[in-house]
Amino acid sequence: MAEGAEKEDVPVFENIDVNTKPFHLRSFRNLWLEALKPRLYSFSNTDPAREEVELMQEMGISPETLEELKTICSTDALRSHPEEEAPDPDVVPPEPKLATLKLRKKRQDYKKTLLRESIGRHDIYANEMEMLALGRKPEDPTDFVQEGEMILTFNVLYPVLFERFKYVRAYQTLLVLGSQKLSELRDGICCVSDLQVFGEFSSTPDMVPQFISKDHYKSAFFFFEGTFYNDMRFPECRDISTTTREWAKKNDFPEFKSTKMEDTTFYDLRLKVGYPYLYCHQGDCEHVVILTDIRLAHRDDCLDAKLYPLLTHKHRVATRKCCACHLYISRWITTNDPHAPSEPCLYCDQCFRSLHYDEQGNKLGDFNAFAYVDPGAFN
Amino acid sequence: MEHYKASLQTDCEQILGSFQASNSVRFEEFSKIWKQTDFSSIFHGISQIGEKRIFTRLALTVASPYLFPPYTFQIRVGGLYLLYGLYNSQSVTPKEKIRLALKDWSDLIKFQQDAVNAQHYDVVYILKKLLSDKALYFTAMPDPLSFNAKRKQKEGGNLNEMFVDRPSRPQELISTDMLEELANVHEHYEKLKQAVSAQAEKPELNLVKQNMVPKLHSAVVSYYSWQQNHTEFESQDAESDRGAGEGTTSQEESSRRAKLLESIKARSYGQAVEASRSRRHRQVEVTSAATNSEPAAGSSRYTSKAPSLKERTELRFLNQGDQNEGLQGVTRIWRLSAVEKEKIEEGKRPRFNWSSEREGDEA
Ligand SMILES: [Zn+2]
Ligand SMILES: [Zn+2]
Repeated sequence: MAEGAEKEDVPVFENIDVNTKPFHLRSFRNLWLEALKPRLYSFSNTDPAREEVELMQEMGISPETLEELKTICSTDALRSHPEEEAPDPDVVPPEPKLATLKLRKKRQDYKKTLLRESIGRHDIYANEMEMLALGRKPEDPTDFVQEGEMILTFNVLYPVLFERFKYVRAYQTLLVLGSQKLSELRDGICCVSDLQVFGEFSSTPDMVPQFISKDHYKSAFFFFEGTFYNDMRFPECRDISTTTREWAKKNDFPEFKSTKMEDTTFYDLRLKVGYPYLYCHQGDCEHVVILTDIRLAHRDDCLDAKLYPLLTHKHRVATRKCCACHLYISRWITTNDPHAPSEPCLYCDQCFRSLHYDEQGNKLGDFNAFAYVDPGAFN
Repeated sequence: MEHYKASLQTDCEQILGSFQASNSVRFEEFSKIWKQTDFSSIFHGISQIGEKRIFTRLALTVASPYLFPPYTFQIRVGGLYLLYGLYNSQSVTPKEKIRLALKDWSDLIKFQQDAVNAQHYDVVYILKKLLSDKALYFTAMPDPLSFNAKRKQKEGGNLNEMFVDRPSRPQELISTDMLEELANVHEHYEKLKQAVSAQAEKPELNLVKQNMVPKLHSAVVSYYSWQQNHTEFESQDAESDRGAGEGTTSQEESSRRAKLLESIKARSYGQAVEASRSRRHRQVEVTSAATNSEPAAGSSRYTSKAPSLKERTELRFLNQGDQNEGLQGVTRIWRLSAVEKEKIEEGKRPRFNWSSEREGDEA
């Protein structure tokens, strides 16, 4: 710990309360593992008898003193009411003394005055998702997360798809293991643009192909601390960072490096916590990626390594309904459309066809039509 | 949910304040205060599980900093008990964990060692219990960071001055570097004076005392030893009330004091006046020196009654009469006591306006 080379891997703030200085994730993990006795991060229970013997030795106290200590420090000592008279935990106690309870009471009284109680569905849903995997154990013991493994939390922000939804900073949260490859995180990120169908189909609405973009445009990269990590797993992948790197070279920027994401684990990286990095796929779909947390795995975590990257939060996007019937989820987006109330305009399949084609299926008027995948469709 | 942050802080500081007033580090004392205020009920009245979890997380986040410097040993003990109480009275399963950052680990180990040395059995027992109960996450940073720069800027900087060791303040300000700098400035000033008046000494130019720097230095050293004596005296007083097995023994106390005096002497300005480094780096060095000079935890648990250097200095100025009137204003710049601005800000803010903000809040 005292060695200078390693000291820089103890995370500290670069900007107070915003982000840390960069540190090497593997060294950071090693520092924790050196500092802690393995049983402190073990997934199995600690042996209380052994702990007690150690405590007595360390403090030089007798078994009697220990018993006394246990009684004094028991959590029963914190109970204000006898167990059988415990108050209802779902109710704010009458005449609360604590500032927090006064505030909660005030808030509840205020809520009662509202006609309709608005429930934070976002929160509930987010929480359900998070809870789903807690404490999960794998069926196959070889799939167990290793003791001393690091769990990283990434927030992946959605790109600004529509100018008017700019103010919504929607994101998904994914947990990955430090030993996982960057490509595994890439596969865990779901983005609507991976499901888009490219091409204009106004003349042949029945010919919309079944493939989705992910199959066709496989190139992608992460950009962390001056290095592009490219997805080169498939023969059709290209290093799409080349253009940027060459431009940077020509314009006297410090040289960027480039390597393969499938050959890199998170432990290999030097990263800042809380700092915005970049994930780019589909050529121009750019996501801000933030490592918000990194910590040792805990026995209450999902311990099935196969379930990582684990999606723990996903912003629920309101589905956008058809502009004509306001009932069904949109499947088509049109531009330059004389029938449309807006530019561009969204339609469900039925309204789109009945408005834009005659009974024989002939296209009426001049317009462009593209297949549309609603981001809210995957809630 | 973030709206509860301020009220949680109020509640934490309330219970820690009462604990501080008890002049004790005993868990028995703490649990008595906890029960009186029915602190466990802080979790009551939330019906939604998701909300419960977010609130619990927030409560632990708000309480955690009290376990670490710059808070006094006694407050840190209170912080430990507070976390223990919150952790065990939360109502979600599995329990929310207390986050511990790698940079804070060594502080916690030192804290534990201090508690072992002073034979504070309950402190050690509870710390070990939390560790063996797996109540902690071993993390990179105290809180997750999501680049929410704007919101963060509003918070922070709300250190409760009552809970911080005051002794380090004069030393923080009158550091070796500061004295060195002052000596340089003084020297420069003297030279300028000589240049202005080529002739012999002019009495009307002797506005500043020649030996100002050594005097300032010795004032801080004597303040320090006075403070240590005071601390020792008070803690002995407290010891005799409560019997053995608690607090540092006076022998340890005096050896610690000797060490402190030694360290402050070792850093005295006389040793290095030659190097005139650039001013820009001064600020940084002063702060780091101040951290080092922080007295060992546990040595100064009972110092709240000591008048600040500012008060004492002002008193002296007043005694010297009106010839120094101008200097009183100057002294204030050094801020030798609590930052006044914060006290004003602590007042009540309008609280109720969430309904409109709420939707976007946790999204
Ligand atoms: Zn995308
Ligand atoms: Zn429709």
